Amino acid sequence: MIEFLSKELNWIDVEYWFHVLNDLSLLYIIVPFFVLEMIRYAVQKRLTKDLIFDSVANVITFGAFFVIEIILGILAVTKIYFWVYENFSLPHLPLNWITIIACVLLADFAYYWEHRMMHRIGIGWATHTVHHSSEHFNMSVAYRFGPLDAVMPIVFSLPIVMLGFDPILVLLSEVFVQVFQTLLHTEIIGKLTKPVEFIFNTPSHHRVHHGSNRQYWDKNYAGILIIWDRMLGTFEPEVEKVKYGISEPLRSNNPIKVFFHGLSRLFRKINRTQGVKNKFLVLIKPPDWEAKA
Amino acid sequence: MKSSTLLFRSLAIIIFIAGGAQLAGYLTYDTYAANEIETNHLDLEETDTTYEEGESKQGEAQDNSSDEPLLTTIELQGKWGVTYDSEDFTGTMVYDLKKEGKAINAYLVEYQDENGYGEAANGEKVLVIKKFDGKKGKGVYSVAYEGETYEVDCKITIIDEKTFQLSYDYYGYGDTETWKKL
Repeated sequence: MIEFLSKELNWIDVEYWFHVLNDLSLLYIIVPFFVLEMIRYAVQKRLTKDLIFDSVANVITFGAFFVIEIILGILAVTKIYFWVYENFSLPHLPLNWITIIACVLLADFAYYWEHRMMHRIGIGWATHTVHHSSEHFNMSVAYRFGPLDAVMPIVFSLPIVMLGFDPILVLLSEVFVQVFQTLLHTEIIGKLTKPVEFIFNTPSHHRVHHGSNRQYWDKNYAGILIIWDRMLGTFEPEVEKVKYGISEPLRSNNPIKVFFHGLSRLFRKINRTQGVKNKFLVLIKPPDWEAKA
Repeated sequence: MKSSTLLFRSLAIIIFIAGGAQLAGYLTYDTYAANEIETNHLDLEETDTTYEEGESKQGEAQDNSSDEPLLTTIELQGKWGVTYDSEDFTGTMVYDLKKEGKAINAYLVEYQDENGYGEAANGEKVLVIKKFDGKKGKGVYSVAYEGETYEVDCKITIIDEKTFQLSYDYYGYGDTETWKKL
């Protein structure tokens, strides 16, 4: 077993496996599942204009996010990653199953913290609120991104590179976590078996995360493994029926409004906050923080 | 949950996963623990003052080849040639391998065409061997591709006393070069 796990692998094979799991999953699971969700909505007579426009806005925000991601990637991210890897990294790890599994686990753990930060600091919520602002819950919501959603992961994945993991493997692992997360955005799947619900993040756990019910706020940040939430005190099971959305509803499917509403609300809050220090604190304090009058 | 608890639990998780991967990487690299370059296989001056550059150390090779007959321990320092047959260059590049600090560095010193006529090269450093136990090693190799130079992790495997193979795999673009002692 150890021999198998530690056997050195070829990059061509590893990149192919990630290509199948990450890129092609859109074709063989995500799109078919989304179609199934639409049929279900139709059967339940819930296929409203609002839902369709909401889904279209989701895809458009993904397009904008993707452009920002590509520009950032070309300009800086990969260069920074490789520079850190060459200059500030522990001994480079060989490409084998042990390294891949460890890298995915660390990427998943980094995702937990990055996600938690997105909820708990003002600037993070200003971009991540876009993802939560939909009042529906289906696979298209997974693609509803904010303008700065590509930035925060950099801060949390660089330490993985510093631990000796290849930058490309780190990026592939991050996408893998994101793809797993995408599959959780569905109402079709109820609760799974207890061992699975205990260890893994599931649609049920993630519905809770999207809930605007008070007890569901800032819970279940996990990507793949829900055990991070259990260990770090943010787990909440799905009990009460989930009401999706945010506490201050957006009430618009205009893609531009959807994409920028978090930032515009943040700027309005900064404008009405007195004092330079307080204005800065709005960026790093929790979203519900208000300066003392 | 207290911030300090969050911090310590998070650090424990990171250390457990990354430490496990590093430990596995360390243990599964069979020669990693055996040496850090300064072993007697490499330190020419300390082990064999009569040894001259370019000669193989027969005795040492025999002493260390008992368990893996295909591999012998050899001295890397000295001049080595690699023959290429590509659109960019056809002929032999001559490298001078020198021990510098804890690493062995290879410098490109000469180009030789197919007829053996040589031309001095600029002496640029193309290879840093960071770990080597006389049979296998690891390092960083400079690979030029479409005008860009990439620093690529590479592995060294000794074939016989006068030959080693240098292999690398850069995200699927890899090669194995045969280096011959001159």
